[in-house]
Amino acid sequence: METFIQSIVSGILTGSLYAMIGVGLTVIFGVMRIINMAHGDMVMLGMYGSFWAFTLLKIDPFLSILIWFPAAFVLGFLTYRFLLKKIVPAGELNTLLYTAGLSLFIANTALLIWTGDYRTIKLDYAVMPLRPLGIAVPIPLAIAFGMAIVITAALYWFLVRTPTGRAIRATSQEPEAAALMGVDVDRMAVITFALGTALACGAGVLLAPSLYLYPTVGEILVAKCFVIVVLGGLGSVPGAIAGGVLLGLVESLGAVYVSVPYKDAIGFVIFLLVLLFRPSGLFGVGKS
Amino acid sequence: MKKLILAGLIILLLAAPWIIAKPFFVHLMIMVLMWTVLGASWNLLGGFTGQVSFGHATFLGAGAYTMMILYLKCGLDPWYGILIGGLVAALIALPIGYICFRLRGPYFALSTLAVAEIIRLVALNWESLTAGPVGLLITTLPKVSFGGQAINWESKTPFFYIAVVITLAALWATAVISRSRLGAYLLAVREDIDSAEAVGINTVQVRVAAFSLSAFFAGLAGGFYAMYLRYIDPDAVFSIALSVEMVFIAVVGGLTTVAGPLIGAIFLVTLGETFRERFLVGHLIFYGFFMMLSIRYMPEGIWGKVRNWFTKSPNTGN
Repeated sequence: METFIQSIVSGILTGSLYAMIGVGLTVIFGVMRIINMAHGDMVMLGMYGSFWAFTLLKIDPFLSILIWFPAAFVLGFLTYRFLLKKIVPAGELNTLLYTAGLSLFIANTALLIWTGDYRTIKLDYAVMPLRPLGIAVPIPLAIAFGMAIVITAALYWFLVRTPTGRAIRATSQEPEAAALMGVDVDRMAVITFALGTALACGAGVLLAPSLYLYPTVGEILVAKCFVIVVLGGLGSVPGAIAGGVLLGLVESLGAVYVSVPYKDAIGFVIFLLVLLFRPSGLFGVGKS
Repeated sequence: MKKLILAGLIILLLAAPWIIAKPFFVHLMIMVLMWTVLGASWNLLGGFTGQVSFGHATFLGAGAYTMMILYLKCGLDPWYGILIGGLVAALIALPIGYICFRLRGPYFALSTLAVAEIIRLVALNWESLTAGPVGLLITTLPKVSFGGQAINWESKTPFFYIAVVITLAALWATAVISRSRLGAYLLAVREDIDSAEAVGINTVQVRVAAFSLSAFFAGLAGGFYAMYLRYIDPDAVFSIALSVEMVFIAVVGGLTTVAGPLIGAIFLVTLGETFRERFLVGHLIFYGFFMMLSIRYMPEGIWGKVRNWFTKSPNTGN
């Protein structure tokens, strides 16, 4: 019973960060209809940002997100404006191939600059886990969980309550109708891409103290991210949140009750089944 | 005239290891040829049917492991192993194709990525068959003589000629298919899948056929790769990066053309391997960079562009 609760807790903790990355990918997909293969590399950049701010400047990762979140927003803005803007009209498959190129380019530049060494962030306060009710909760993951919830909730509020958020959702639902209603679709695209990138980088900053970091980590993360957004229905924000938590749970329960080596495979099997039999996601809210 | 140029080029290719006998150069040519086969394999599917697969490393890995296991456990000569590896890859492609082709466009691409990851994890954990992360190693290759002379497997030249044979087979197959009825069906699927369906083409069957044929050549290349390097492990032959490299060589070289994958491989592999000699890591930076340039400025690829200059037809593209 204790193992069960333990794996539920760690599943939810990791899942909240998966959700944050997944929300980034899904809003980008919703507005631009593009599958951003470089999304995982944005997480990787966030992780390295967190690492260097900590190693060189002694800035705590959970503070440095205040720098990296806006920086990533600018990075996303520039990426869209100078790299992607002209490609998106060329169609889904061209964009897919283009972002795959971008992904390889970012990952290999990182490999060249930072080498392939595995790095970790060692926080003083992270030595011992918290033990409420006998369940081990790693402190960095607990803080990351809290911040991921705050950021995701803020984003949700932004999308639901603010005029810009509404315009983004309108564009996501029906781009032509939104344009006819006076929504500047192009501006929404750039804001969304920047926001999605900031979420990915931000999650990377928060994840860095809990994971090993290396330049090609994005490859695995982006694959997980696809699982998340497809589970929840592509384009749906609540779906991506649910999908993220679900994947976190599947992985941690799978590691305990199925097998550790195959825990990553379970996610992909579910992914294929959902794509084949429930293409609009488990909750039937996404668009296929 | 065209045939004469082609024959001249092939003779020049066959003589190349004697003209420049430096080991690095021969190694480079072997890698270029191997990647040509992989690019051509991807082109058969991606170029002709427009279905983007991000999971072709599955077939490379299947070929590599088939050859290795047959050689190490049954003592079957590697050249038969390579051929059987191709066939095994083609067989594996059938169920994967029937499942994944129910999806279209980017969804198909994502599903192939997921299948490839599942297969990589299986190879990593099925230790009784694949030895898991430890990998498989060949210490000696069988003694064979050719024209009364024993083949020296320590030199790279014999591998070069094997690579030439596989490459010519792959490019020949592409040429034949592009002129065949199947080729026409495939292009119809690429241009408009619903119309193709409407005129009575069984689009699933046609796509699965292309997928399986494409897998066959990736399997051959995989078997060759294992024999040449004599060592494989799941991350070396099943990684996402390998799948992506194949895509890039085919796209940058020129999709739907016969020579495109060769041009793409010459260009990218030469750049990459030369860079790797000096910096050890990060050689895929060029792949990413030229992929982006290619999609942005010449989606028809290098060879597609060159061919358009020669034909000077008023309507560009196909």
